[in-house]
Amino acid sequence: MTATHEVQAEARPIIEVRNAAKRFAVNGQSLTVFDGISCAIPQGAFLSIVGPSGCGKSTLLKLISGLEPASGGEILFNGKAVTGPADGMIYVFQQYTKSIFPWRTVIQNIEFGLNSHKKNLSRMEREDLCRHYVKLVGLEGYENYFPYQLSGGMQQRVVIARALICEPSVLLMDEPFSAVDALTRAILQELILSIWRTIPVTILFVTHDVEEAVFLSSRIISLTKSPAKIHEDVAIDLSYPRDQITTRAEPRFHALRQQLFASIFLQEKGAAP
Amino acid sequence: MKKRWPGFLLILCLLLLWEFASANKLIDPITFPRVSVIFASWSKAVLGSGELTRQLMPSMGRIFAGFGLAAIIAVPLGLLMGTIPLVYRLLEPITEFIRPIPSSAYIPVAILFLGIGNEMKVFVIFLACMFPILLNTYGGVRAVDPVLIDTGRTFGLSRTKALWQIILPAALPNILTGMRISLGIALIVAVVAEMITGNSGIGYFILDMQRIFRVPEMFAGIFTLGLLGFLINFIFLRVEGHFLRWRGTSVET
Repeated sequence: MTATHEVQAEARPIIEVRNAAKRFAVNGQSLTVFDGISCAIPQGAFLSIVGPSGCGKSTLLKLISGLEPASGGEILFNGKAVTGPADGMIYVFQQYTKSIFPWRTVIQNIEFGLNSHKKNLSRMEREDLCRHYVKLVGLEGYENYFPYQLSGGMQQRVVIARALICEPSVLLMDEPFSAVDALTRAILQELILSIWRTIPVTILFVTHDVEEAVFLSSRIISLTKSPAKIHEDVAIDLSYPRDQITTRAEPRFHALRQQLFASIFLQEKGAAP
Repeated sequence: MKKRWPGFLLILCLLLLWEFASANKLIDPITFPRVSVIFASWSKAVLGSGELTRQLMPSMGRIFAGFGLAAIIAVPLGLLMGTIPLVYRLLEPITEFIRPIPSSAYIPVAILFLGIGNEMKVFVIFLACMFPILLNTYGGVRAVDPVLIDTGRTFGLSRTKALWQIILPAALPNILTGMRISLGIALIVAVVAEMITGNSGIGYFILDMQRIFRVPEMFAGIFTLGLLGFLINFIFLRVEGHFLRWRGTSVET
């Protein structure tokens, strides 16, 4: 369709989801979250997954991360089956307040990301690297603060820096900005976009906010209500770099937002009693 | 500290009331000697003859030996109970059975196989300190948020590393609470054990003074116990405040 889309279509998939299924046992009954979801995520994409609440977006992301086992089908990461938390994929949790280590300072939290990576660095090199990421997320001057001394948006920056420092090839973000105020969210959205454009990382982004998805993504997959199926797979042909003021003013932005919102809204409404 | 002066003022008033009541024979001055007399004997027993100081040392030695041993064993055991279900299922029934027995009830048993010496007292203090630390450590581990554990998993942390880097620090507030409870219990059990099988220690001193009708010295011993408990708690709160400074709630001392 568009230039960006064609580039991505040519790129080899970094993640492949083949017929993935997830079932939970609830009160002795089997509850199917989804059954038979398939998709391929090209390397370098910024792909958002949207859908009605409770459709299993986050569950799909957990399955891809290897934090939760699939009940059926398989997930491939770089061509290899995912059987547990895979090296090279980092999951960023929605509840950043629960994911940050409260007993570690900002810089110590970020250093945690180096734990299982780059073990051979000297202390000086580790510190330099940490400072680089502190700077990348704009937390200079707060290195020695404890999380309780930071705002929600700053805590989320720490969590993002901690994830980036181990240079993951895939970042799995589960509604990362849903718990911060609107202005902070707008700033964090621009931050994650600029990071994605400077670092070779594939981002999978789960959100219930269609506008956020359109603003950020190169591609959006929308899911149906549970048991979820892929409802739409839309390439977002807005040019990068994007920013909050001009991108959101583009007619194409509104058209895409409207199209996706309508399809999700009608589904949600149609399924309601 | 400045907000605590009304409490200290109340103590001072009560002591003055005691002094006045005893001096005017409103209470029996033999059973309740004047506070000034108690303090005179206290300073003589602590600074002068040193007979009280001499008894304080063995007590403190026992308390810290028993408490230290309990902490060294109970914290790792609690971590294992919290992380390995089999260990929990193995130890939970026996813990629940032994825990409700008042620790002083072990003393006769302990005398049978350890005698009336130091070993017996340290053992009883150790046993009494075990359970608060064990149960609080276990509870702390169980309360660690799954998101924190999953954060370790997504970063590829091994189970052992997660134990040190995530579970232990996350459970630390509970572990320290258990330790603080244990220290209070240790003091009680030490005194009881020393009273039952007395040859040294502050508990022995108090009972001995009562038996030979040196009532001011007896009270001096009791006051010393109060002071000792206060000091231990004060120091422990400082230590706790240091280790938990990341919680942001300043510990009032």
